[in-house]
Amino acid sequence: MARANRIVVDTLDALEAAAVPGTTTREMDRIARECIEKAGARPAFLGYRGYPATLCISVNEEVVHGIPGSRKLREGDIVGLDLGCIVDGFFGDAARTVAVGRVSEEALRLMKATREALFAGIDACRPTRRVGDIGHAVQTHAESHGYSVVREFVGHGIGTSLHEEPQVPNYGPPGRRERLVPGMCLAIEPMVNVGRPEVEVLADGWTAVTRDRSLSAHFELSVAVTPFGPWILSEPYPYAQGEAEAAHA
Amino acid sequence: MPETAGRPRTGGASAALEVEGTVREQLPNALYRVELATEARASVTAHLGGGSALLRLRPGDAVVVELAPYDAGRGRIVRRR
Repeated sequence: MARANRIVVDTLDALEAAAVPGTTTREMDRIARECIEKAGARPAFLGYRGYPATLCISVNEEVVHGIPGSRKLREGDIVGLDLGCIVDGFFGDAARTVAVGRVSEEALRLMKATREALFAGIDACRPTRRVGDIGHAVQTHAESHGYSVVREFVGHGIGTSLHEEPQVPNYGPPGRRERLVPGMCLAIEPMVNVGRPEVEVLADGWTAVTRDRSLSAHFELSVAVTPFGPWILSEPYPYAQGEAEAAHA
Repeated sequence: MPETAGRPRTGGASAALEVEGTVREQLPNALYRVELATEARASVTAHLGGGSALLRLRPGDAVVVELAPYDAGRGRIVRRR
């Protein structure tokens, strides 16, 4: 699963470099697919519940699940890139929002706060804590900046399926929901809006936009709960090996 | 890719079994005893589910019942037939 997530994040790096004015979202999808296949993986979203592409690309007021098409990226856009792949039967899933050229101060602040909210949530991924603590950490951080978090979409367990139990909302009271135990793998993905939290899904059946058409950002990483705390699966195992063996003994 | 919020359905309406039957008796609390047109589980206690077309069901009316996945004796009347 670490390998799948590594491939996803490497692909996101490539996509971020390609997100320049004039690139079409379909071209971004093609890059994503090539990059994933070159790494020996398969796209996880293509065909998932009928989703027609490798990449979810969500521009500005689009929150998530934007379908690639002929739209050209423009200077000042912020673009949510969400990607998943399958390797050896295990799934990787990650997302980030990137700037096209120079973007507004407001957009930069939103992206920074959303990314920080993700890491606040990741920090809550420890044994003895609960799924509700993750959402609480995310919500508290996002709302402290005056932003709102989307309720209609949630993070999820991940493993041999893209979406597994439990659901991981980005809001709610601490101390509730499932207990976190070592070995659980969760995709944590705050979706944060400048305006109100409500979203609506466009007629294509996928693209979710903010109802008030305010800007929205989305960051996601897949994380394993270890006895010592979170392990971001796209990064090397962060704790000493000896320590790990001692804890499992 | 975020998941759409809400508990995933395990069983539930999509998996429920629909069976044809006939109302035999009106019970208290808007329940009905429905005789099924199948050999097994000859009759079930069923409540009303659905629109106003189901109001004033009378013994003898032909209906379609969804059977509860975990309780063989109960069901939900989903429409007239």
